[in-house]
Amino acid sequence: MIKAAGITKNFGKNSVLKNVSTTINRGEVVAVIGPSGSGKSTFLRCLNLLEQPTSGEIWINDQAITDRKTNKLEVRKQIGMVFQHFHLFPHMTVLENVTYAPKKVKKMKSIDAEAKAKGLIAKVGLSDKMNTYPSRLSGGQKQRVAIARALAMEPEIMLFDEPTSALDPEMVKEVLDVMKDLVDTGMTMVIVTHEMNFAREVADRILFLDDGKLMEEGDPGTFFSQPKTDRAKDFLAKIL
Amino acid sequence: MNLDFSQLVPYIPFILEGIWATLKLAGISIIIGFILGTLLALCKITKLPLLKGFADAYTSMFRGTPLILQLMIIYFAIPQLTGYDISAFLSAVLAFGLNSAAYVSEIIRAGILAVDRGQTEAAEALGVPYKQMMINIILPQALKNILPALMNEFITLTKESAIVSVISYMDLMRRAQIVGSELYRNFEPLLFAGLIYWVMVFILTQIGRLIERRLRHSD
Repeated sequence: MIKAAGITKNFGKNSVLKNVSTTINRGEVVAVIGPSGSGKSTFLRCLNLLEQPTSGEIWINDQAITDRKTNKLEVRKQIGMVFQHFHLFPHMTVLENVTYAPKKVKKMKSIDAEAKAKGLIAKVGLSDKMNTYPSRLSGGQKQRVAIARALAMEPEIMLFDEPTSALDPEMVKEVLDVMKDLVDTGMTMVIVTHEMNFAREVADRILFLDDGKLMEEGDPGTFFSQPKTDRAKDFLAKIL
Repeated sequence: MNLDFSQLVPYIPFILEGIWATLKLAGISIIIGFILGTLLALCKITKLPLLKGFADAYTSMFRGTPLILQLMIIYFAIPQLTGYDISAFLSAVLAFGLNSAAYVSEIIRAGILAVDRGQTEAAEALGVPYKQMMINIILPQALKNILPALMNEFITLTKESAIVSVISYMDLMRRAQIVGSELYRNFEPLLFAGLIYWVMVFILTQIGRLIERRLRHSD
């Protein structure tokens, strides 16, 4: 369970998040949408402390991770993250990318880490690319490896920061399909996305952010057919 | 023009012994410079003002004064100050190692900063501790990019090591000078030494290319 209470984030004088509060339950899939610059990514990045909120509290299960005494590394072990631009380690093969953190962070034995990694790489459909370097992969393949890499740490929660925004259109589906499989496993997921159809289809709940404020939240059916706020209406009118 | 290399022949073994002296000096200095330079680079990119200040001051000092002055201070001034009779070799290694570290630290700092910020974030998001992230993720990528600059620094150091002849360290240069004064002929021994320096640098360049090619296998 993730609980955000009054999250505010300022970059200098610029206030990017304004008093955002919400609770995400175990197994829930939440899509965060909104115009660019609305603070969606910053909100997501606060959840694993890539950004330290200026004020407010974030609880993961029963731990206040925004507490300064919290060990950030321990928190991040439970939370996987997938980035818009993949950020695979370019000097490592696909297999090495996926086994690196389990071996170095979880101190898993090489043989166990590799068995686990091979299973995950197969699950994202890249068994034939095991010993390939990222530079030889397409965007969609890179992103699928990035998902496998995050899953290798056996996280309780997965964060996706616009996972398909940097992809060529024909590669979006293969990544979304992998994410759908993940939804079916009951993983808790927070997804920042511009893929409205995907959000409508898989999300249990939509968070709509605008100008750093959580304007609206609700189930996708209601949100997409009867948005309450004018901002949400405007936004949906522009993109749908 | 009367070049006569035949007189040089008996002295060739004496000069060649200098190769080892030069290589030993350059090799150890490069290692000191590289390790210390990496540590200094890490100091420069931290948020801790004390470490950053120290590293910046260090670089400023060693880049801002002539190498030959640093060498002479270490060789002539340390005994005066401490009474410790420092050997020519130790002085030379210290001067070159400490000096090179200043330059290497700037090269490595630039290399680290050029690595995509996303790499750090990806490692952080996986819970990778800082030290491992630097050793396994950031530095390998940085080194690949800065290898040409680093090789250039090592080549410069190997050649410039010739100035240790001023503290009478028996390197290639010093030996060529000695032979020159024995023979009353300077051109032949100096030319011979020059050739050896060139060969050493040539080999070093080839080694650099080899490493570069091996590092590029992931492209």
